[in-house]
Amino acid sequence: MAHLLLADDDTELSEMLAEYLTRENFTVELAFDGKATLQKVQNKHYDLLILDVMMPELNGFDVLRELRGHSSLPVLMLTARDEDVDSIIGLELGADDYLAKPCNPRVLVARIRAILRRAQTQQGTIADEAASEIIQLDDVELHSGSRNVFCNGNLITMTSTEYSVLDTLIREAGNVVSKTELSQRALGRELTRYDRSLDMHVSNLRKKLGSLANGQERIITVRGVGYLYART
Amino acid sequence: MYRLFWKIFLSFWISLILFSMVTIFMTSAYLERLRTQQSLGNARGQLVNYINTGQTIADKQGIQGLKDWLQKLDKSQAIPLLLVDSVGNELLGRPVPEWVKNRRQRLPPRKPLPPRSGAPHRRPIKMPDGQLYRLIPDYQSVTLGRILSRPRVIAIPLILAAVISALACLLLARYLSAPIARLRRATEQLAAGDLEQRVAPSMGNRKDEIADLARDFDHMAERLQRLLTSQKQLLNDASHELRSPLARLHMALGLARQRSTDNIEPELDRIERETERLNELISSLLSLAKLESGSNQIDKQATDLQALLETVVEDAAFEAATHQKQVHIQQSIEATVMANSALLHSAIENVLRNAVRYTKPDSTVELAMMIEPSHPEWVVITIRDYGPGVPQAMLEHLFEPFVRVEQARDRNSGNYGLGLAITERAIHFHGGTINAYNEAEGGLSVMIRLPVMNTSRTAK
Repeated sequence: MAHLLLADDDTELSEMLAEYLTRENFTVELAFDGKATLQKVQNKHYDLLILDVMMPELNGFDVLRELRGHSSLPVLMLTARDEDVDSIIGLELGADDYLAKPCNPRVLVARIRAILRRAQTQQGTIADEAASEIIQLDDVELHSGSRNVFCNGNLITMTSTEYSVLDTLIREAGNVVSKTELSQRALGRELTRYDRSLDMHVSNLRKKLGSLANGQERIITVRGVGYLYART
Repeated sequence: MYRLFWKIFLSFWISLILFSMVTIFMTSAYLERLRTQQSLGNARGQLVNYINTGQTIADKQGIQGLKDWLQKLDKSQAIPLLLVDSVGNELLGRPVPEWVKNRRQRLPPRKPLPPRSGAPHRRPIKMPDGQLYRLIPDYQSVTLGRILSRPRVIAIPLILAAVISALACLLLARYLSAPIARLRRATEQLAAGDLEQRVAPSMGNRKDEIADLARDFDHMAERLQRLLTSQKQLLNDASHELRSPLARLHMALGLARQRSTDNIEPELDRIERETERLNELISSLLSLAKLESGSNQIDKQATDLQALLETVVEDAAFEAATHQKQVHIQQSIEATVMANSALLHSAIENVLRNAVRYTKPDSTVELAMMIEPSHPEWVVITIRDYGPGVPQAMLEHLFEPFVRVEQARDRNSGNYGLGLAITERAIHFHGGTINAYNEAEGGLSVMIRLPVMNTSRTAK
């Protein structure tokens, strides 16, 4: 049973959401401000953090920035609907996915499950090191067991979502992966309208990995179609 | 009270006094010079010159030539020079003052003196017919009237008056119009949305109606700023306050669904749909309000319009496909525009979504992006659907908020809501225009024109 932490300053909403999630077979703890959230995360293990941007004390971005310094805990951001930049900032800071508030709880649960699936494959495979597989392409090495990524022998830290996106693209290296397919395979969910999360994850990957040895862009955007991992 | 009046009054008087002083000084200097000429030998020398010239003219051109010369001399000189014969008649028939006549008569009629003898300035001019004339300067007839009626003499004070008054007017105009120009610039910037504009500090310690106006302007700007800030605050608060209950409503709906039996699902669906609609309405109202008030807070940067159009189409095609409709870009070019990409995106998207909504099933919404043939500085995006079109009378109201195309239609299909109103304001914000027209063979076309930064004419 997955253990979730819900950080939102709207107590009424949090309680209802907690009830909803409990019925969906999650255990939920609540935090009503940024500081409490960070404390809880440090003292206890959670499988996922649902993080609202608008919070007193420390806002969601501050919490995420602080958190990403030492933890790769999966994070789902709840952003204000009219602030497009919020989602971009959130994903840039390393959130695994985002959802605009007010959101449909069914969609929320679907997103939570998709993120947890990615994270669980990670944990599941660590135990089963024998099934571990190493994918190597040029200077990049993916350890599917530990879900570690090495570039030129250096360990690159990334969120489980970023790992999934990279994994999917590298397995299809040289071929264009459509956004619909990438969303399905890497995020574990349908592509929605105005979904910029793939773009942001890809942009984070580009930043973390840098360009290829010959200066070429690693992940090429094929406008209107999808993405392509370039082979040298 | 009327401080401006006193300033104008004062400057008028200063220039008047200045002019009078200079004129008086110059006139007196001029008259002084004339008077000194009278007593000095060089005045005599001048007279001798005139007599010699007169004699030469009399010898060569006769009496008529002498008359012409004398007339010319009279016009240019302030002192009248009379040419008087032995009985006291003037050659040009000018009145001869008594003292000249008396002097002439007092002198005994002399015998003709041999030429080039006697005092040179008293020498008579001898006419071809033998008559003798004397050239007599009439110093006593030098009047102001005579001086002023001589154009050469009057020209100097006239120029002087023009220069002084021009200088005074220039200073006065500069003094009056400089702060007005400052006010005007501030007003323009205020209208453009810069509410930080203040003018009173630039007026120094000036105290007149213009300074009052500047202070009043500042009061107005301050009040406007306060109002807009509070309006913005209200909008933000309202957005948050409206959104919170909506979020809870969503959540309660979710809980209700978890517990519900199948027979109330349709009602729950309905509640969900309406909640979503309410949500979208709040978003639209907020972005409309944002566009109409704080447009200076929206930043613009160079945006690839072709890429933007492609993403909009990609999203719309995704939605259209679920209704067996297509979206297709027929023609496109590379173009860069100064834009807020999120705003422009939603502006084009609103039009495209409407087109997708109204076009017939199994039809294609067609997009074209091109440079306006007659005006290469404009890029035109045309979005054409194959729907029922819009009644002619409604076309011009299409971009007003909450316009319904047909009153009888139900809300699901007839209400253009706020989308197109937002689009119009967003396009105007980008310096462009938008208009809609019905195609002859059915369907609606919406044409968006935007000022373009640069393009390459490589049509795709």
